[in-house]
Parts: sequence; structure tokens; C-alpha cells
Amino acid sequence: MKLTLQEEKTIRPGGLKKSETAVLILLPIVTALLAMAIGRFGVSPVDIILSLLDKIGIGEGINRQTETVLWTIRFPRILLALAVGAGLSVAGCAFQSLFSNPLATPDTLGVASGASFGAALGILGGLNLIGIQGTALFFGIVAVALTWISGYGKGNGMNTIVLAGIMIGSLFSALVSLVKFAADTESQLPAITYWLMGSMSGAGYPSLALGVPPIAIGILILYLLRWRMNLLPLSDDEARTSGINIRRLRAVTIVCATAMTASCVSMCGQVGWVGLLIPHICRMKFGNNHLALVPASISVGAAFMVLVDTLARSATAAEIPVSILTAIIGAPFFIVLMRRSGGWQL
Amino acid sequence: MILKIENGTFSYNRQKRVVLDSVNLEAGPGDVLAILGPNGAGKTTLLRAMMGLLKWQDGRSCIDGKDIRNIPYRELWRVMSYVPQAKNTVAAYTAEEMILLGRSSRMGIFSHPDETDVKMAHQIMERLHISFLREKKCSQISGGELQMVLIARALAAEPNILILDEPESNLDFKNQLLVLDTMSELAAKGMTCIFNTHYPAHALQRANRAFMLKPGGEYIFGDTHSVVTEENIHSAFGVHAVIGNIETPGNILKDVVPLRVAKETSKGECLACGGADDEKVIAVLAIITPSSDMTSRINEILHESSGYIIGRMGMPYPDAGVFIINVTIDGPQSAVRKLTDTLNILPDVSVKATYAKDFNNNTEV
Repeated sequence: MKLTLQEEKTIRPGGLKKSETAVLILLPIVTALLAMAIGRFGVSPVDIILSLLDKIGIGEGINRQTETVLWTIRFPRILLALAVGAGLSVAGCAFQSLFSNPLATPDTLGVASGASFGAALGILGGLNLIGIQGTALFFGIVAVALTWISGYGKGNGMNTIVLAGIMIGSLFSALVSLVKFAADTESQLPAITYWLMGSMSGAGYPSLALGVPPIAIGILILYLLRWRMNLLPLSDDEARTSGINIRRLRAVTIVCATAMTASCVSMCGQVGWVGLLIPHICRMKFGNNHLALVPASISVGAAFMVLVDTLARSATAAEIPVSILTAIIGAPFFIVLMRRSGGWQL
Repeated sequence: MILKIENGTFSYNRQKRVVLDSVNLEAGPGDVLAILGPNGAGKTTLLRAMMGLLKWQDGRSCIDGKDIRNIPYRELWRVMSYVPQAKNTVAAYTAEEMILLGRSSRMGIFSHPDETDVKMAHQIMERLHISFLREKKCSQISGGELQMVLIARALAAEPNILILDEPESNLDFKNQLLVLDTMSELAAKGMTCIFNTHYPAHALQRANRAFMLKPGGEYIFGDTHSVVTEENIHSAFGVHAVIGNIETPGNILKDVVPLRVAKETSKGECLACGGADDEKVIAVLAIITPSSDMTSRINEILHESSGYIIGRMGMPYPDAGVFIINVTIDGPQSAVRKLTDTLNILPDVSVKATYAKDFNNNTEV
């Protein structure tokens, strides 16, 4: 028995054990199925399974009302939560490694502030949901481009880019305030404020079709590059002498993480904390090897977001903004875990 | 594989001060090349420029005659490997993960280390006697252990040339020996090892070639014994040092002992070679030695300078178990210095020179 354990470790250096892989695959699926059942309109698990079978052409299906609740209201919303949770976690994880900074979040380069400004501008201009999503995505990318232009230069380290990101971030935060100031206090201001707090309620298939592909592609690329990402936290000389093109790796990481974050923010507003919290939790459990860390972040992030959103929509009669819940649930959980594991180092 | 620098010239920000001025050096299989020089002379700059991490303003580095700028990244870092200083690394990977990162240049962009890579990492760990570190985090091991892990990581690329940046700095005696022994063993098997060091003694004991940088871009390159000399140490480091032999039952080791900081002179010119050093002085050397065995050796040394000695007094003081010698000298400054330098490295011997004030003025009067 001991021998086989040893053997498994030998073949899978720093990667996930089979049991861990199974848990990480099942975690978001089970959470999503549970979330389908929970809500003000109760649906029994049997109905969900029957309905699922119906979708792939087996069995008789269920009544129309349940069907609508499940597939028109809950399913897109859960899909959105899965994508946003996974996307923000992986983006946060990538930025932390890239900047060798445990405080880095998906917003480090100013993406979220830029996207918020875009959304606020869209609301001010009276655009529809898809229009708002479009402007948010656009300004999120503009913000990162500005950060890159101002921070990147010969001889500048990654810290300069982080500083530039903080500056551009605060610039766009100020612009958001300016838009709020100019907004109509009766209708637009509450809409902007509510949007900024983050909510999955706007989920619909058209919105998902625009926002999910960048997230999915970003996750896929970073997942494939996960072993290479281990080179990111190394010092510049070490990374350059490893025999890979570190500049290209950094650029790919930034583009992926930015696209994912901008898409997330454009669909559901600012969901804070997930990008900081989940990667740290995964680092405490799985270590810093991205071979395990990236898949773990995807899975745990997706499951966590579905859990939080389910609570947000069903805990009280009125919906609670999701970013409030991420902090309220996440912070104590994080602190408990941190104290138990003795923290970690990047 | 032969690594060569041809006329390498480098200065930061195109300032007037040239850090490295048409440097030429060469190292081949089995060579251990030590790079010496004072702080700020450009040792690390030389290493970084040598590896292509900094761009030569003029000249080039080449491997087997091919400019390294024309060798693709992946190929270059398969034949050459870099071991950074242990203190710069903070990434909290396990030793095994860290060593596997050394395989990067030999793996495809989307691939992961497979069984062969892992086995190889384990073999290297065994060879360097660090298998016990496998599951330990690099952020939680000692400096010496980390340095060995970094060497292992560099070896994982299966290089022909190993470049180490101050591999034995910040390490205790035992770990210094471990690192230096590893380097010697690798070189004995045909690896080219190039290392930066603050210890001229390590160059003398371990390297067959040495490269000594002086402030201002001048340098000396050649066989270690011709480069690491008292004169060169003086002109490069501005320190009076004595190179001596230490005899052990097995062999004779060279060692360098720094005695004191040399006086500021205009171009770091050698004080012992003349100039102000020819100035005549009157000095009294006070020597105290606890063992009477040493007195005969002291007498021998004094005898060599007998031409300058105008007075001498020896006094045993058995109550305290010491022997006291006073020597009065009228001679050039250099003679006094040489005498004190030589006496100073004798074990347990205390030596101090007291100079007469305004000696020149007095003679004029």
C-alpha cells in the first residue's frame, strides 16, 4: 500500500491525486445541481434528473412551469456563476503569481474599474443590458491597455506595472464617481450603484453568449499553460534563463486574465473577493504548483460562486448583492483556514 | 563546448564610466573559472552580459564560435545553465517542483514533467545528497540547502556550462565546502563552471583560471596563481593581503588573509611598488608572542630586514607567559609594512607599529 502511494507521487509531481481530481470535477457539478433545486420555487431533485434526461431525449419530461424555472431562469444564472467564479479565481491566481504579490487581485491592472466605468457610462446613456455589457468590456480592456502603456518600458519591473495599474484603477474609479454625479438620481444612480455591487440577476442566454467565450478561452489557455505558469513567480533572471520566452508567457497571462476579468465584470458587475480568496484557499490546500493550483482554483471558484449566488437569491425575499455575500461568507472562512494552516507564502 | 567573450564592452545608460572595457575571456570543458573583484566592479554585470541578460555595447559572447544572440533561447539554455544567488529566491515551491522547473528548456510549451523528468530530478537530488529535501518548501529550508536545490535545478537542464552567481556567499563553512566540492566534482567530469566569488582563497583553492576585475573596467585574466597575487589583490581591492600556504597532513592549501585597507591612492597603484611608499620613516614595532617557539620564527623574519633595524630588545616575561620584542626601524614605509604584514599572520602574535611624528620636518630642522 505504501509502495503504491510512493509510486503515485513519483509519476505525478506536484499534480493532483486521482481522488482529488474526482472531488474537484464533482464539486461544481454537485453544487450546480443543488442550486437548481433551491429557490423560492422549490424543485425536487427527481424533477431535475427527469428534466435532464428529457434534454438528452430520454423519458417524458416535467411540467412546463418547472421546466421554465429550471432552464430559463436558474440554469443561465448558474452557468454565469460558474463562469464568473472560475474566471475570477484563475485570473486572481495568475496575477498573484505574475506579480509575486499575494495581494494581487483580478483588478490589479485596473480592469474592473475600467469595466465599471464602461457600465456606468452605458447606464447613463440608457443602453440595454447587452449594450452595457459591451461598453463595460470595452473600457475594461482600454484600462489595461493604458496601464500597460504607462507602466511598461525598458528596465521597468513588474512592480512598475502594478503601480501603473493602481493609478489607472483610481483614475477610472474617479470617472465612475463623475458619471454617478452626473446621473439622474431617480433612476440612473440607483441602477449604477446596484450594478456596481454585483448581481447575477441579469443572466440570460444572449448575455452569456457574449461574455462566456472570453472566459472559457482564457481558462482553457491558462489551464494548458499551467505548468509553465510555475515560472511566473521566479525572479526575472531565473525566468529568462529557464529557456522559455518569459515576456511572451507574461503577455499571454495578462491578456487571458484581463479578458476573463473584463467579461466577468461586464456580465455581473464587480464581484469582489473571489479572485483573492479562492486562489489563497487553494494555495493553502494544494501548494503553489500551478499543475494543481489552476484546476483547483477553477473548480473551487466555480462552486463557491454558485453557492454564494444561490444564497443571494434565496436567503431573503429581496436579493442580496453578491459582492456583499462573498465578503461576509469568505472573510471568516478564509481567516479560519489561514489560522489552521499557518498561512502560506507565495 | 567553449564559452568565450570577445571584446565585451558594457556601460549602464551610456554613461561615461565604462563598467567592462573590452573583456576577453575563455573557458572550456573541465575549467573552473573564478571571477573576482571588489563590490561594484561589475562581477554580476559581467555574468549577466556573458549570458545575454544584458546587451554588450560592443563585442560578443559566443559558444563554440557562435554568437549566443543567434542561438535560440531553448537551445542556449540547454547547454548553459544559471544558478542565481540563493537569497533572491522566494517562490514557495517544494524542492522537487523547483528542480523540475530546470527541465523547462527541454519540454514543449503545453507539456508537463513526465516520469523520466521526475526520475532525473531524483537522480540529481541523490547525486547532490539532497534527497531529504524533496517535499520541503524552498522558502522554509536553509540558505545552504536552497543553494544546493538551485544547483540541482540548473543541472536538470543537462547543461555543459554552469554559471553560478556567488554560490558560496552567505553560507557557513560546511555549506561552502559542499557547494565548492560539488563544483569541483562537476568540473572533473567535464563541466565548465564559471563562478563569481568574494573569496580570493576559493579561487586559489578551486579554480584553474581566474578573472579579476578592477574598478574602472580594467581586468586581469589567466591562470589562477598568476592572477590572484598580493599585488593584484592590492590594486583591485585596495587591501593589503598576504597569500600563504597552510600545510595539512594531506596537502598544502593556499589561503589569502586580508590584513588591512590600503591607503587611498590616486589610481589604486601598488603601494609596495614605490611612490609614497619610499618615504623614509622611523617606527617602533611592538611584538608580543605567547609562545617562545614563535620567537625563533620572528627572529628569522626580522633577520631578513636587518638592514633597516637600528635597535632591538627582547624580553621574556615568564610570569605572564609571554615574550616581548621591540624593534626600532629606520627605513622605507614599504619595509615596515611588509614586516608587520608578515608577522601578523603568525598565530597568536600581536604586532603594532608606532611611527615617529613629522619625521621629515625634524630632519630638516
